[in-house]
Amino acid sequence: MKLGRFVGAVLLAMLVLVNPLQAETENSEWQSIVAKAKGQTVYYNGWGGSEVINEYIRWASAEVEKRYGVTVKHVKVTDIGDVVGRILAEKSAGRTSGGTVDLVWINGENFRAMKEQGLLGPPFTHKLPSYQLVDTEKKPTTVYDFTIAVENLEAPWGMAQLVFMYDTAHVTNPPANMQELLAYAKTHPGRVTYPAPPEFHGTTFLKQALLELVENPELLKKPVDAVDFEKITAPLWAFLDELHPVMWRSGRTFANGAPEMKQLLSDGEIFISLSFNPNDASNAIASGELPESIRTYVHEGGTIGNSHFLAVVFNSSAKEGAMVFADFLMSPEAQARKADPAIWGDPTVLAMGKLTPEQKQLFDNIEAGVATLSPQELGKVRLEPHASWVEALETTWLARYRK
Amino acid sequence: MDKPTGPGSRLALFPILTLSAFCIPILIGLAGTWLPALGYLPAIGAYDLNVSVFFTLFREPGFSSATFHTITTGLGATLIALGLSLLITTQIYGSALWRLLERSLAVLLAMPHAAFAIGFGFLIAPSGWLVRIISPELTGFEVPPGWATVKDAYGISLTLALAFKEIPFLLLMCLSGLNQLDIRRTLWVGHSLGYSRSRIWTRLVLPQLYPHLRLPVLAVLAYSLSVVDVALILGPNLPPTLSVLVDRWFNDSDVGYRLLGAAGATWLFLLVMAAIAVFLLAEKIIYRLSRDRLIDGSRSSISERFGLSGATAYFSSALLLLVSLLSFLVLVLWSFTRSWRFPESLPGVYSLRFWARGVSQTAEPVWIALVVGVLATLIAVVLVIGCLENEIELARKGRRADSQKVMWLVYLPLLVPQIAFLFGIQTIAVLFGVEGTWLSMVGVHLIFVLPYVFLTLSGVYRGFDNRYTQVAVSLSGSPLRSFFRVKLVMLAKPIVFALATGFAVSVAQYLPTMYLGAGRFMTITTETVSLAGGSDRRVVAVYALCQFLLPMLMYTLAIFLPAWAFRNRRAMQNEKGEW
Repeated sequence: MKLGRFVGAVLLAMLVLVNPLQAETENSEWQSIVAKAKGQTVYYNGWGGSEVINEYIRWASAEVEKRYGVTVKHVKVTDIGDVVGRILAEKSAGRTSGGTVDLVWINGENFRAMKEQGLLGPPFTHKLPSYQLVDTEKKPTTVYDFTIAVENLEAPWGMAQLVFMYDTAHVTNPPANMQELLAYAKTHPGRVTYPAPPEFHGTTFLKQALLELVENPELLKKPVDAVDFEKITAPLWAFLDELHPVMWRSGRTFANGAPEMKQLLSDGEIFISLSFNPNDASNAIASGELPESIRTYVHEGGTIGNSHFLAVVFNSSAKEGAMVFADFLMSPEAQARKADPAIWGDPTVLAMGKLTPEQKQLFDNIEAGVATLSPQELGKVRLEPHASWVEALETTWLARYRK
Repeated sequence: MDKPTGPGSRLALFPILTLSAFCIPILIGLAGTWLPALGYLPAIGAYDLNVSVFFTLFREPGFSSATFHTITTGLGATLIALGLSLLITTQIYGSALWRLLERSLAVLLAMPHAAFAIGFGFLIAPSGWLVRIISPELTGFEVPPGWATVKDAYGISLTLALAFKEIPFLLLMCLSGLNQLDIRRTLWVGHSLGYSRSRIWTRLVLPQLYPHLRLPVLAVLAYSLSVVDVALILGPNLPPTLSVLVDRWFNDSDVGYRLLGAAGATWLFLLVMAAIAVFLLAEKIIYRLSRDRLIDGSRSSISERFGLSGATAYFSSALLLLVSLLSFLVLVLWSFTRSWRFPESLPGVYSLRFWARGVSQTAEPVWIALVVGVLATLIAVVLVIGCLENEIELARKGRRADSQKVMWLVYLPLLVPQIAFLFGIQTIAVLFGVEGTWLSMVGVHLIFVLPYVFLTLSGVYRGFDNRYTQVAVSLSGSPLRSFFRVKLVMLAKPIVFALATGFAVSVAQYLPTMYLGAGRFMTITTETVSLAGGSDRRVVAVYALCQFLLPMLMYTLAIFLPAWAFRNRRAMQNEKGEW
């Protein structure tokens, strides 16, 4: 009994002593990262096709410059695949430091490629204070990126869900699933399209259609070589064969990406477009880019959702600066600003329950846009098929339709 | 005065320096592309030399139609541009419209390809400005029609845009060719022989003029066959043209595609070489066939009497000016727009906010383009003047340089498709760790700036009356002083103009900046092309206009600075030597 109390007391003392010590170590590790970051220049490579996003990056860069003395240069990329290729070329050429890319905006296939090729820096997100607030429990896509384990190699930055945008001036009842979309296209030829894969919105459209059309969606969780690809995807190709002739430009030309489709929607050339950002329509209406008549809808069985991330590159010589920038972008302040449809409208990765009341207030203050669906309306998020499906779908699509 | 070891011998360094500035990178670049095409790229662990990559290339989905569309758009654009430029020159030379065209040339040339393509796309799309102007009153369209007027599967819009953009360049080359011919005397002789106007041009002038155009036309051909930025904006995408496919392969996240890209680039190179050979052959055949007709002495034909070609020439030059003007105006309109819905003829709501933001956003990319452009152009002008002085020196010693051979060399960077050697240069640059540095940026821009500076300057420079130099040397006693204080000053106008041209060429470079900039050098052009893939036309318009304003500013300086500097020297005000 005495011994028990003694042991208990010792344990208690150890807990009391060790815990703050541990917190102190973490804190001091972060402090030393912040100290090293000062004066560094971070080359952040991210898609640069959206002025709304570029403007947000400009704001965030100015903030970290002010607060941490870290300079951020936004390298605007058209396809992040270019960057992965460049980093790999640097690795092959033996450039293990002083790489041209420090932080990269990434997910899915490109993350898998970088992880497999060893192009990522050591695990880092656990060192970032803001990461503790990420909703890793209820948002599983922050830990599994297209089914690939993230393992602290990339910092969750934002949530995405496939939504469709339609023009209420021309469409009264938006389609509730792929079959209805096809029926709509047949009665309104030339007003529906999707981006040509391998552009990722185009590939996502393929995956969404596949998820809806396939008999047993469970099979898509398996690697593609473990299943009968031809048999499973047969309904998808039959669907596309029927859809293409009644699409925009008779399916002989495709949009290059979702942004171009937004332009076509704005011009009235097409009546239905798609986006990975549920607030895209509200945001574009607010800036005058889309007409007021645009609204958002999702398919009844749910649509594909995923997360996008920020990863530090293995040969970056500004790793600390990159971490500081990533931490700031995950902070409640930056996340709340990003979630505002008037600014960008990208849903947060943070857990509201982990925030202080003041931090939570930032999110509560956000006014929902006119064309934004409520969480209930957004419905069920469907998980991405196994990452290996991307290439198989793209290759088959190109072989069938790029004649 | 004529010291054997004077500046003359040092001048001999200039052609060597100049040639190595672009020949060596191109040769290295080609080798660096051909080896991976044959399966050898140590950087990704590929060591087997074989041709299997080419078989993969030939089996690639859409390969044959991509090749076909590349040929039709490239050849089509070149033939249209050549035909119309010759028609315009021969039919309306000396008219009021010609003078207007001549005065607009600088503006037309300054407009970068990407900016023009963006404006042109806004103009002719089914939801574009032209349809908006006449809708719904004349067409009844409340929603845009389903026409395929841009990004059509056959690349017709791409062909037309390229043709329109190349006509001003070929007109400039016609003009400089005519300046070198004694055109007034030819016209006078022709008239006195009783030839009609168009007959004089087709039978007497054209055969003399064409040799001056041969290389520029081949450059246009090579460019049109391999252009990437314009094809990204206006070209088909299922499949895109070869150059776009190759560019994608080079930039795929799966580095295995680099071999395929290299094979594609090599295939494109062979295609361009074959096209050039076919062009030269066709030229010979046409010459053979028309030789007898040229000297048959007949005086007129039916078509000439009805003035059909004259009408076409007036129409096409008016169209060229109109399309360019409208493409520019539509950019201006969009840049001040908040919302502009179909079928409104003009924006519904205007806004200054995109310019207000644009000024600070474009500051850095404009600055980078400016510095790279100015450095590359200054180096180019010094090298070119050195080469031309060396030529004069050689001529004085009785050794003549074979100017035709020199020209082929000068044209080398313009005849080899950029994408066929940039990847190779990039690989080498990565190997030496110089990609993304000022050195590699200025160096790679120099490759393309040099030829244009040479072309713009050489005619006038060679035509300089050397008796001025002789007088100056005999008065000052110093060849160097007379060179700087007399010759350079007298040639200031064309030199400044060559500077502006070189600068415009540098600003417009997209691929070289992308391949060697490593993302560190974002110029206004790479930013504009990257945004053109996005959706916001208002922002794209601001960027495209900035991309246009930068070279425009230089041309304006080139025209007004000498005029202002020489305002008290009447003899320096004449038109001669401007081009």
